[in-house]
Amino acid sequence: MPTVLIVDDEISILEVLEDVLLDAGFVVVTAMNGREGLERLNETMPDLVLLDLMMPVMDGPGMLRGMATNPAYRDIPVVMMSSLPRESVAAASDGFAAFLRKPFRIEVLVQTIRRVLDGTG
Amino acid sequence: MAIEPDGDHVPQERVPSGISGLDVVLRGGLLRDGLFIVQGEPGAGKTILGNQVCFNHVAAGGRALYLTLLAESHARMLMHIGPLGFFDATVIPSRLAYLSAFGALEKDGLPGLRDLIRREVQARGATLLVLDGFAAVLESSDSARTFKKFVNELQTQATLTGCTILLLTTVSSEPTPPEHTMVDGIIELTSRLYGRHAERDLQVRKLRGGSYLRGIHSFDISDRGITVYPRTEAWLTRPAATDGVGGAPVSTGLTQLDSMMGGGLPRHSTTLLVGPTGSGKTTLGLHFLAAVNQDEPALYFGLYENPAAILAKANALGLRLDGLRGSGAVELLWQSTTEGILDEVCQRLLDAVRRRGVRRLVIDGLSGFAALASEPDRLGRVFSALSNEFRTLDVATIYTAQADAVGATGGQRLNGWSPAAAPGIADSVVIMRFVELRSRLHRMISVLKVRDRASDPSMHEFSITGIGISIAPDPAGAEAILAETTQQPASGAKRSPRRSPA
Repeated sequence: MPTVLIVDDEISILEVLEDVLLDAGFVVVTAMNGREGLERLNETMPDLVLLDLMMPVMDGPGMLRGMATNPAYRDIPVVMMSSLPRESVAAASDGFAAFLRKPFRIEVLVQTIRRVLDGTG
Repeated sequence: MAIEPDGDHVPQERVPSGISGLDVVLRGGLLRDGLFIVQGEPGAGKTILGNQVCFNHVAAGGRALYLTLLAESHARMLMHIGPLGFFDATVIPSRLAYLSAFGALEKDGLPGLRDLIRREVQARGATLLVLDGFAAVLESSDSARTFKKFVNELQTQATLTGCTILLLTTVSSEPTPPEHTMVDGIIELTSRLYGRHAERDLQVRKLRGGSYLRGIHSFDISDRGITVYPRTEAWLTRPAATDGVGGAPVSTGLTQLDSMMGGGLPRHSTTLLVGPTGSGKTTLGLHFLAAVNQDEPALYFGLYENPAAILAKANALGLRLDGLRGSGAVELLWQSTTEGILDEVCQRLLDAVRRRGVRRLVIDGLSGFAALASEPDRLGRVFSALSNEFRTLDVATIYTAQADAVGATGGQRLNGWSPAAAPGIADSVVIMRFVELRSRLHRMISVLKVRDRASDPSMHEFSITGIGISIAPDPAGAEAILAETTQQPASGAKRSPRRSPA
């Protein structure tokens, strides 16, 4: 089963997304900010990262930059999620494989993750 | 008040909220480095206020941080505020960031939350912090002492980092919650019902070291966000300029009425035009407007007839208002009386006067304001303040007021108004009335008083024809009619049957 690392500072969102992805058959790891996310990467080497934009301690773009400095993480696709439109997110960060604008539907989330993992995203 | 080395008190620097009207109430804005509570029931508008202050602060060059504690999710919040006029996605996240602080609170308690706030404020160079859902802090405190210590630390942090902090929370059930004694200011948002009509209220309950407009002020939430309407009689306490006196009279547009008033309306004055419905108050107001010239821009502020109806009426009377409107000499504004906020309407009126430097103003009519007033006893003070302001702005104003009764002058009442309010708002009073004689109504006009000037006390008959109002120069006609009415038996009086001889 593919492993998905979810990084989001809103506990309610983190918990719901975890349940949804577990139901969809994924293995799920969670972190509440970019720094924690980098630590989880090291521990679990997930197949995909579902990453929020704005977080305390280290935000989404900060984590993306951290991933880019380590060759071991370069091939892990990132799905960025934010309440902001895609243009705003692109201006703050690049290097993500797909974008989800919050709030989104469960089926859209699962389809997007599967598409990215299949390499068709 | 800050104290300078030499001991002089200097006013503490203010950070404008950027919310129209709120900075008037706060007399400049929030205190820089201050800690404020914004409280209200769910739906009161706290989150919109917090967000609006953030976006305005960022637009003015600052940096803001919005932290949530068990409030709605950021996605839902941004979805709700996204359509509002102040929202600007381009400043997020570089200058305005939304973060959840609940995880830190859950994991490490108040120390964790305090550390997160300190770290994020410093890292982002935030000069404004909004903490939404502050009630969760109290719930997470194991004692009142811990909670007060946290609030005290927040205040210290605000001072050390130069960051103004807003704590958004629900209204406490305690009469004086401990945090209220510690913060620099408290802004309360409430909603009140008047029958089925609801109005939103804002009250600054506390502001340390600075003056503010005390009492309750109205506000609304529209697609522009929050707009506060300071209580008219409170913010116009001190007129914008010195009251003007003297100067040539302003023509009413009717030569005979000018003559009766000793030359016309005193410049910088307010005139109350009282009469029953249909007596010709609006028509007289249109004459006043039509006498405009380019140096005396005019404004008609109607609460009953809309601009199209007013233009049609003026055209029927041969008064070419449409041309004057086209040239910009006259502006016609209409205000619905079915739903609205009294202070919003007053502000709209005052803005329109100031915008064009209006010198002739017709407000038609006062009863419309009475219909808008949730607290009618304010009207006298409101119009007294407005009248003072109009005088200082060199405006000659005519208010029309509907009288309930078709009767003798002394019996006329101002519809929806206390006659006692008239002296405060009117320097001059002109009465229009009907007199009934042999199945015909005769129109009469008289001048009750004119400020600092002798006036013609006679009653004159007038008529309204295809060329407007025509006032008889000689009062003899009116006198004859009135004399004849006194000789007629009262309508409906019974006659005693003549007794037949036995």
